[in-house]
Amino acid sequence: MGADAAPQPVQARLPFHRRVLLFMAVLGPGLITASVDNDAGGITTYSVAGARYGYDLLWTLIPITVALIVVQEMSARMGVVTGKGLSDLIRENFGVKVTFWISLALIVANLGNVIAEFAGVAASLAIFGVPIWLSVPSTAVIVWLVVLKGSYRSVERVFLVASLVYIAYPLTLFFAKPDWPAIGKALVIPTFHSDVAYIGMLIGMVGTTIAPWMQFYLQSAVVEKGVKVEHYSLSRLDVIAGCIVTDVVAFAIVVACAATLHKSGIQVETADQAAVALKPLAGQYASWLFAFGLFNASFFAAAILPLSTAYYVCEAFGWESGVDKKYDEARPFYWLFTGLLVVGALVVLRPNLPLVKIMLVSQVVNGVLLPVILIFMLILINREGLMGAWRNGRYFNAIAWTATIVMIALTAWLVVAGIRDLVV
Amino acid sequence: MPETAGASESFGDPRFVFLSELLGRPVTAADGSRLGRLTDLVAATGEPYPPIESLMMKGATGRRQVPWSAVERLGEDAIVLKAGTETFAPPETHGSDRMPLAGDLLDRQIVDVHDAKVVRVNDLHFLEVKGQLRIAHVDVGFRGLVRRLGWQPLVDGLVSAFSKEARYLKSDQLVGWKLVQPLDRSPGKLRLEVAQRLLATLHPADLAEILEDLDRDQRTVLLQRLDVETAADALEEVKPELSAQLLEEVSAAHAADILEEMQPDEAADVLSEVQELLAHPPDSAGGLMTPDRLQLMPTQTVADAIAELRRRADELPFVYELFVADEKGRLVGVCTLRDLLLNDAGAALGTLMREPAATVRIDARLRDVAAEAAKYRAMSVPVLDEAGLLQGMVTVDDLLTEVIDGR
Repeated sequence: MGADAAPQPVQARLPFHRRVLLFMAVLGPGLITASVDNDAGGITTYSVAGARYGYDLLWTLIPITVALIVVQEMSARMGVVTGKGLSDLIRENFGVKVTFWISLALIVANLGNVIAEFAGVAASLAIFGVPIWLSVPSTAVIVWLVVLKGSYRSVERVFLVASLVYIAYPLTLFFAKPDWPAIGKALVIPTFHSDVAYIGMLIGMVGTTIAPWMQFYLQSAVVEKGVKVEHYSLSRLDVIAGCIVTDVVAFAIVVACAATLHKSGIQVETADQAAVALKPLAGQYASWLFAFGLFNASFFAAAILPLSTAYYVCEAFGWESGVDKKYDEARPFYWLFTGLLVVGALVVLRPNLPLVKIMLVSQVVNGVLLPVILIFMLILINREGLMGAWRNGRYFNAIAWTATIVMIALTAWLVVAGIRDLVV
Repeated sequence: MPETAGASESFGDPRFVFLSELLGRPVTAADGSRLGRLTDLVAATGEPYPPIESLMMKGATGRRQVPWSAVERLGEDAIVLKAGTETFAPPETHGSDRMPLAGDLLDRQIVDVHDAKVVRVNDLHFLEVKGQLRIAHVDVGFRGLVRRLGWQPLVDGLVSAFSKEARYLKSDQLVGWKLVQPLDRSPGKLRLEVAQRLLATLHPADLAEILEDLDRDQRTVLLQRLDVETAADALEEVKPELSAQLLEEVSAAHAADILEEMQPDEAADVLSEVQELLAHPPDSAGGLMTPDRLQLMPTQTVADAIAELRRRADELPFVYELFVADEKGRLVGVCTLRDLLLNDAGAALGTLMREPAATVRIDARLRDVAAEAAKYRAMSVPVLDEAGLLQGMVTVDDLLTEVIDGR
């Protein structure tokens, strides 16, 4: 690719219906990533934020959306231009040692995330009266079978349909009767509290929305789709739409909890507590919708995280991977996938589980990993040999580095706070 | 230049050395003063066992490229250069037959032709003979990873403490250089003859699996290195959407050749994928069609048809399907070459023809023609005018050229 080649012009002036068709073909990775982003951890954070601080944290969603779009756009662009996943690029450009430590961190971080998802499955189904000893093992078995017996395409379709279920959250708004003028004000005028807990909550929202695994997942999904460079503008649209959907759902959760729980002064620590507490305030349906949304998010993420982690690690090390391979050909792949699923489920089944501590460890590892991943991404996306004319422009780089540095500073706080809470 | 004792010592017996052991090793002048660290080795890949031609090092004065002929000795703790060769030019860009190994091969994916799979290069294994370093093997095994991590002594010690016979210790997964197919973007002289030949002998299903495992650009490189028949066999085994992607990357003529070699039904599947991806204002069937066709009456016999076919075989682009039309020229049926071969010479075409399944109007767009062809897995689609009169046909080949060229 020539150094001074102008960026290739995007296919211009297609009839509208053709553009729509093409968009549907490219659609998917961005929306799915966005959907998995609002997993059990995300819903918990947003519920607690709404219940504790009312509308006061709503304004953060706008800068979070911008940062999310900036980061995700780079992932999608790298996938389209290089045709390679992020873990492949890291291995090929930074060598074995870096790849090893990143893979290890990713496995630990994602194991923490998988545990959180199973906890979400257990808690949400408990609201419908399903006992944990039934919900967790059967979820693990169903996920295992669906992923290993179905093809990626069919799995993706299931996921796309599942992501529609996120409408459940905006629907709960209907029952919650929020104060719209106050919401509008809270969105555009930042509110600051001086207490440490407020800052912790704010950072928690950033951390749960922009997580390391997403960059790997999105880039691989774009590669898997085989999106061509000339259709990149549509892929970017998919990513932007996904990011906006993510934060609209986040917005709905915060508002639903703020309009009901916060108004009545009810404090919650988890998403399922929020769902239960909604019942007397917003009615049975709101409570069910909320719980169902939590189940869907947890189930969805519990299926995607172990599978994608196994893929990245195996591809980076050159081990055979993929559900179409036989067990004997791809042992590390099957062990990783099954191991993450089984360990995640077993940990949740253990009585007297120190779930909070596990979540803190996961939060710390995610927080340590994110800056590393973001910096690697910025280095890679500025390499001429790799990206050619599709490198970051000067202004985009300024925005991307600023967003990265802010996120690094925020997650550093999260890591320090997490370690402090673990030690105390 | 006088032979030193050191040189004869180190250039004595042939020995093996790994790239990972060499990278980072200090490079010193003849008097022992340190010049820098080894960062890469450049090999001439045109030869069966590529020799190292130069080394790259990084020192206080920046990056330098040193011809291998200036190397006096490959010591355990330093690479010593000959006296009087300490000043070197900054690195040049490499031609297509020169490959910086750490830069372009290490950690990349290659095809292990022997085991028919895609692997990652964990390390490179050199043979040192008479001062020359040649690539002998590619290390794709777990032990290579451990070595790269710098943990080999530790892990080797731990494993041998459990079992001295462990498979880990016995079998380094070294693949002979001749049996690997690198997938660098620039094809250049990287065509390894043995690997190339072996690729063609792989089972199409294995080859298909390899193609599916590769990155997008590597797939294209590999496909271009296969002969048309091998490529066609492999693509029949690949998912149609992937085949379509692959064919879009190679030249239109090459793609058409490959499709011609494929089974018609597989080719039709691929075609339908290609047109799905199509993003161009379509041409009309009228512009695409060829008027040259076999057209007979229902009352004519198989013998008539074969005679006609023989007479016009040279000018006809396509002889597998012939059209049956009434005296006004309205299409009433189609026959295939197979029908002609399997029926008596005296049988009337009207008795053995079939309803024409796929037909298009003369103003139909390319996309619709392709859809018809794909739907009915037809090799050609008859084109009718407003009145239903047969005007010509669009062959799958023409469609392909159009679809792929028009991309």
